[in-house]
Amino acid sequence: MLKIENLTKIYENGFRALDNISLEIPDGQFVAIIGLSGSGKSTLLRCINRLIDPTEGRILWNDLDISAATDDELRQIRRRIGMIFQQFNLVKRSSVMTNVLCGRLGYINPIYSLINYVPRAEKTRAIAALERVGIADKAGNRASALSGGQQQRVGIARALMQEPELMLADEPVASLDPATSHSVMKYLVQLNKDLGITVLCSLHFLSLARAYADRVIALKDGKVEFDGLPSEIDDERFKMIYGEEAVQVEIN
Amino acid sequence: MNVTPSPARAALRRLLIILALALGLIIFAYGWSVTDINLEKPQEPLRQQNVGNALRELLSPNVLEQQYDIQNTSISFVVECPADFQAPPAPAVEAGKPYITVTPPCAKANEKITLQGFNFYPDSLARINWITPDGEKRIRQVDDSKEDNFVTNDDGTFTVQIEVPRIRGSAGQTHSIEAQGRFPTGAPKITATTGLVLEKMVETIFLALIATALSILPSAILSFFAAHNLMRPIRISLGNLMVTVALLPVGWWLGTLILGQVGTLAINITKGAGFTLTAGASITLLFGAVTSSRKLQPAELGLNGARLRSAFNSLLFALIAIAVIGIVGGLAIAFGRLFQPVSIPAGEVLDLAGSIKFFIANIPAKLSYFIGSLGRLIELTMPLFAGVIGAFALSSAGTSLTIDGLKRVSIPISHILGGVLGVISGAVVLGFTAVIGMQAAWLGLLTPLVAAMLGGQILPMVYRRATGKMKLLSNSDKASLTALNWVSAIIIFLVVFTSLNTGRAIIEGTLPSQTPAFEIAGMQLYRFIWQSMLIGGFLGGVTGALAGTKANFPIGDVMYNITRTILNGLRSIEPLIMGLVFVIWVGIGPFAGVLALTLHSIASLGKLYSEQIESIDTGPIEALQSTGANRLQTIMYAVVPQIIPPYIAFTMYRWDINVRMSTIIGFVGGGGIGFLLYQQINLLRYRDAGVAVLAIAIIVSILDYASASIRERYI
Repeated sequence: MLKIENLTKIYENGFRALDNISLEIPDGQFVAIIGLSGSGKSTLLRCINRLIDPTEGRILWNDLDISAATDDELRQIRRRIGMIFQQFNLVKRSSVMTNVLCGRLGYINPIYSLINYVPRAEKTRAIAALERVGIADKAGNRASALSGGQQQRVGIARALMQEPELMLADEPVASLDPATSHSVMKYLVQLNKDLGITVLCSLHFLSLARAYADRVIALKDGKVEFDGLPSEIDDERFKMIYGEEAVQVEIN
Repeated sequence: MNVTPSPARAALRRLLIILALALGLIIFAYGWSVTDINLEKPQEPLRQQNVGNALRELLSPNVLEQQYDIQNTSISFVVECPADFQAPPAPAVEAGKPYITVTPPCAKANEKITLQGFNFYPDSLARINWITPDGEKRIRQVDDSKEDNFVTNDDGTFTVQIEVPRIRGSAGQTHSIEAQGRFPTGAPKITATTGLVLEKMVETIFLALIATALSILPSAILSFFAAHNLMRPIRISLGNLMVTVALLPVGWWLGTLILGQVGTLAINITKGAGFTLTAGASITLLFGAVTSSRKLQPAELGLNGARLRSAFNSLLFALIAIAVIGIVGGLAIAFGRLFQPVSIPAGEVLDLAGSIKFFIANIPAKLSYFIGSLGRLIELTMPLFAGVIGAFALSSAGTSLTIDGLKRVSIPISHILGGVLGVISGAVVLGFTAVIGMQAAWLGLLTPLVAAMLGGQILPMVYRRATGKMKLLSNSDKASLTALNWVSAIIIFLVVFTSLNTGRAIIEGTLPSQTPAFEIAGMQLYRFIWQSMLIGGFLGGVTGALAGTKANFPIGDVMYNITRTILNGLRSIEPLIMGLVFVIWVGIGPFAGVLALTLHSIASLGKLYSEQIESIDTGPIEALQSTGANRLQTIMYAVVPQIIPPYIAFTMYRWDINVRMSTIIGFVGGGGIGFLLYQQINLLRYRDAGVAVLAIAIIVSILDYASASIRERYI
């Protein structure tokens, strides 16, 4: 259970990205977070694993207070929370294998990392993770040699190495073409259904949220505008979330 | 909308442009006279002739030399024809032997006479020598030329005119005229100068190579501290920082005392016994150290005594680290004693094969000297290692133990605690700067400067407390806070500056007061240091009490600024100037040059490297942080792969620059080819200097090309 209480984030320049948000997300849910650019989707996701420090409010995860954790505690919380990114955030010059193994760093003794040693069991785990996303044959390639969709799958495999209980996906398909988008979304749904991982996924397209999410949370100007089932979003609600001039676009 | 500027505005603009142009002209005119630009001097004939000669010699480098067969023949000649002069009989002509004739056979001084030569080497160099009755020999230049030599005809004859020299008191006496023909024999050989230049060139290249190699590791480490994007997010709570700072000197002291003993013991044991025995024992020990370090897993959350364990881990890690360093050092020293250099038997001259054999025979000795020196270096710096490791281990142990407690204290207590810790850590910081300040007059400025930084936040914090504006600030608030920051910093600077009498030390160039305040544990505490500590304690106490232990401190920013300042300062000092200082320390020779170039390379590579870090893709850093990797792991896996190619490229570039620098570092005694060039120029031996210049030009352009093509491949 992830519980967000009165979360507020004000950036140094005074921009109020999140404004008193409270949410409860039960385990195993697939939640889509939608909203315009600048509505606070990325900030919300990054506050959950404290890549961004919230200004006020608390984030409780299984009764652990993430917002008050010390650096050491935070690292141990983070290794249970996977994250994938719009720009994939792979080390382009490193091999796919190395990139995937990076997901395991929170568990590996830091002294090993100095000499670049990885236990064999972790390598086996990495191959298994790559098999799950269907690109085990690319393990030896450089990450930069892969297509966008493949790179995002490496990103998913890297997050899988953490054996996460919660997966944060920050616009995972915004840089991909429609066909690849669906394939990546399907992998995320699989993780949600097969492994019971809670998924919080920010999306641009309402159609994707409708197709894959159990629950949709819409943000507008840092506030929760809508929180409910995807089917409940009608034209009126759509215009409230995206503004009067918006038109629905389908992605197939 | 089209806005036309008003005529008055346009006129003003034009006037400003004209004024700017006039100002530029005046600046240039002034610069012209300051730099002493003078068109008359280059026109003077003597200067033109001198520069022409120097350039001609520089461009005729003395690279090769030739052995010659010399033909000599002479004829007698009478200066001032006597009244009863009878021409001597023509010399007997032998077939194939060179001979000369002279017409007229006698003449007055400064008169022209004609010499004819026969049977000389065809088409080769010849010269005429005038030999006076007392046997003095001087070259006569022929046909009003300025060359000593002339070329004989195809049939081995020549006809030249020379002037009879005016030699005091030689009138009426018989002189002799010698004609000398030269014919090259054998292949041209390399001159001794060339040999010397080649030897020094090798020294130069290695000088640059060693300096570059030595600078890589320090500058790579420094570059991380000088990279804004890595350092800026690092913040710690003020309480943790103060605990760390307060524990640093204690850790240093304990480290040098206890860890230093352990390290020295490790060195002495390993270097004492025979090499094979110690090697075996050390490998076992190293293995043991590694396996025990595997037990140093990061403490799991929620475990009882997790903090205690993590503190214990830091101390154990310090002990293992110092023992490993000691063992490695001792092993290196033991290896250094393994091989002795082979010397050439006295009087034996080596041919090429012999030299190669000799070189190969000496490789083990050279290797063991190299590794032995590294071991000695570890041995010499062991107290430093021990102090640093001890300081950091104790600080991190202290942080682990207090971090939870500091988080839990209530707000009022956090301010009281902040005051107490602030007194200690402020005193430590200013005491440290005072120790540095004791070394030279201008370094004394460090104490008031750091005091100003320490106390600069006092007025802003008082203002915030008074107005109740603790969190959100408008822009005008921020501006007034900055102003207050400056005001309090300047006030504190001036107060500390006067109370420590820094001004007097700076004007008179003396050190700060050396009067001892009192003695603790056999160590004298100077009054300057004691006063600084009191000031630091006061400022730290006030700041700490106002801020409380829970305040955030931008430690990353501070370290970034310190590193950048040091790097920029070092970089602004030319290696030639550093060379002058190092020559005083280690004497004339390439070692001084290596040290000077290393220091300068560290500063400049540190900057180049850090700029590369600042331009990396930050996405992977974010991604790795989100997986729970710690800072070190994030750097190893997200930063290092991205910066290796530019690091290689910049290192090559630096080597290229260092070769150039090392060609002139010898001018101040730093070894390499510069030393030779300097001597040759001072002795006006421009043909020899030309060899050195040629060698520099060739090597520098080769390296320039090589480094450019390697850089192209990596960037």
